[in-house]
Amino acid sequence: MSNTQWTITVGEGSCGIAAGAPEVTELLKKRLPDAQFKSVGCVGMCHREVMVETVDDQGRSYLWGNLTKKNLPKVIQFLRGDGVLPKTLLIRSSEEPDCEGGHYLTRQTRIALRNVGQLNPTSMAQYLDRGGYDAIKKIITSGMTPEAVIEEVKIAKIRGRGGAGFPTATKWGFARNAPGDVKYLVCNGDEGDPGAFMDRSLLEGDPHNVLEGMLIAAYAIGASKGYAYIRAEYPLAVQYFGQAIQDAREAGYLGYHILGSDFSFDIKIKEGAGAFVCGEETALMASIQGERGMPRIRPPFPAISGLFGKPTIINNVETLANLPWIIQNGGAAYAAIGTEKSSGTKVFALAGAIARGGLVEVPMGVTIRHVLENIGGGSASTRPLKAVQLGGPSGGCIPERLFDTPIEYEAINATGAIMGSGGMVVMDSKSCMVDLARYFLEFTENESCGKCTFCRIGTLRMKEILTRICAGEGTMEDIDLLEDLGRSVQSASLCGLGQTAANPVLTTIKYFRDEYIAHVQEKRCPGGVCKGLITHTILNDKCSGCSICERYCPVNAITGTLKHPDTWVIDPKICINCGMCAEVCNPDAILAA
Amino acid sequence: MNLQNMEATVDPELVHHWITAIGSDSSAAVPILQAIQGHYGYLPRKAMDLVVAQTGINASQLYGVATFYAQFRLKPVGRHMIKVCHGTACHVQGADRLNTSLRHALGISNPEQDTASNGSYTVENVACIGCCSLAPVMVIDGQAFPNVKGADAQRQLFKHARENNEILAGQDAEN
Repeated sequence: MSNTQWTITVGEGSCGIAAGAPEVTELLKKRLPDAQFKSVGCVGMCHREVMVETVDDQGRSYLWGNLTKKNLPKVIQFLRGDGVLPKTLLIRSSEEPDCEGGHYLTRQTRIALRNVGQLNPTSMAQYLDRGGYDAIKKIITSGMTPEAVIEEVKIAKIRGRGGAGFPTATKWGFARNAPGDVKYLVCNGDEGDPGAFMDRSLLEGDPHNVLEGMLIAAYAIGASKGYAYIRAEYPLAVQYFGQAIQDAREAGYLGYHILGSDFSFDIKIKEGAGAFVCGEETALMASIQGERGMPRIRPPFPAISGLFGKPTIINNVETLANLPWIIQNGGAAYAAIGTEKSSGTKVFALAGAIARGGLVEVPMGVTIRHVLENIGGGSASTRPLKAVQLGGPSGGCIPERLFDTPIEYEAINATGAIMGSGGMVVMDSKSCMVDLARYFLEFTENESCGKCTFCRIGTLRMKEILTRICAGEGTMEDIDLLEDLGRSVQSASLCGLGQTAANPVLTTIKYFRDEYIAHVQEKRCPGGVCKGLITHTILNDKCSGCSICERYCPVNAITGTLKHPDTWVIDPKICINCGMCAEVCNPDAILAA
Repeated sequence: MNLQNMEATVDPELVHHWITAIGSDSSAAVPILQAIQGHYGYLPRKAMDLVVAQTGINASQLYGVATFYAQFRLKPVGRHMIKVCHGTACHVQGADRLNTSLRHALGISNPEQDTASNGSYTVENVACIGCCSLAPVMVIDGQAFPNVKGADAQRQLFKHARENNEILAGQDAEN
């Protein structure tokens, strides 16, 4: 056995933990008792979780992925010096420069995510070692005025990363100039978009960076109090951010007279309670105040009269995470990245039918195709990609033929989608765009606060029409009605939820009208998804007669004799087309069409 | 077991403790409800009444908040909680099948119900737990299971049930 001293770093973000990081760590500790262990947040390669990096005392590094209790012994053997290099588990190595996985990270430009996956999120010392809190120190010790901070952010040309893309410095200026002794700065960590997890990774992986961003914003607008509104569904983010607040307070970065200056600022965490509409500023404020999270008419804008009637700025987690870098490196350096109108970088959460899903931070201006193919590795299956859903329920579907669209606010808006907070859900030919539109409408109808009639009733009616189409009971007039209703809901709703609710429907009709027509006229679901339009049948020539489908069928619709493939049938009168049989069938003998 | 018997016995001192720790003005409504639900798994009526009596929050505001947010439940829950993620990625990867298979295993056939009749498990759909790259995902008692297919969901549930001495209606499907 070799005497190599290993330092072992384990990715223990929510996704790493979900994939089994605690079990892997336990086994590694048992088998390599002399190694030093470090815990970090998610590096962003969620598709390779559980991920572990091992570095020896001579600086040789190996980054491993897809580790399980089963395959871990191979890695342990290698690390102990008595086994061969298990190449299939290796993502990147200083000794093996050609590992494919390495490209995932090297093709990114990481500003907001620069520390995520690199440090222990609960260690303030590690954040300080990486230049943490230097930006706020620079502001205070160099005597930068709040106006100078706003000017620097203006030069950076950063736009709000929550989705709408309003220039951050302009928004700050309103609050800075608003009269009032008490002002609030709120961190919007209510990442409600299904399919998005950028904020979770930032809050979990580098909480001090977000906190420092809050300090910079608070200093710029003159806020003395702050709230971090974080989804209750992200318990680790709440825990780590709470610890960061406590540690920063003890170290003098929060509280009265920060770093001996006249600047005082403190933060409280408020946990969200599961309402998508609370991502909207005025609804979020109502929620913090203990009310139902309902939006209100603007003006007055929150920057003038917000939380408890005081001037309030609400910035998204990702916006805040960029600020320390901007102050440290200068606004011009940030503006030099990206495009003229969309500066800097944008973080995306890649998921769905993609080979390498995870977190991706790229300069604005690169194409969607670059993200999906060069970084995401293209389709996860042999099926071609057909669309990408951008911006969650507020966004839209961009078809493959528009994948060369550059990632910048205006260009994305021109497709009918929106940048949104950065969720990118990828679809291949086995997904149904009508079902997807129905899914989003069900979501928005459910999440509508009910204040505006068009949003309350309009989304409900749209969902009903889409459900009808998915069941094969739609008419061609339904498609026109959907477009009409969609535009009405857009124009007659008070907040972003209603104003954007129709986007998934309108873009799928615009780009995938043929799928709607197939559902309506041919009573066929091309993706093989809509339960009312598909039938499950057993292909007896492929069947092995193993009976597993029978065991998992929830309605006992399958019968046959064990080991007699020709006897197996699904009773269409009983079958609910749930697809369980197809999922468990090893020989792939069940056809859904 | 009759689900009515699952009503929790509320400890007034505990409710008082939460109010003292969190606050009694109207902005405390959400965190107080979160504390109550965190302990009892739902919002028992008795606890709500105590909050109304001991804070400046009136009943209409408290119930208004409790019924507005998806997180809160006014009905008792099972001894164990299963959350099935229905985010976009999970939906596209077949989250629906998880519900079908779990409900089958738990013997919950009434679409209006979400708790097994013996009070063992409650199946709840959640909007998105933010592990989209590992879709579909479900969470049993706080432990997340990544890349679960319908059949895996049953297997994990049966395993959990065995470890927690719970008896399930559909356990005979396992082999």
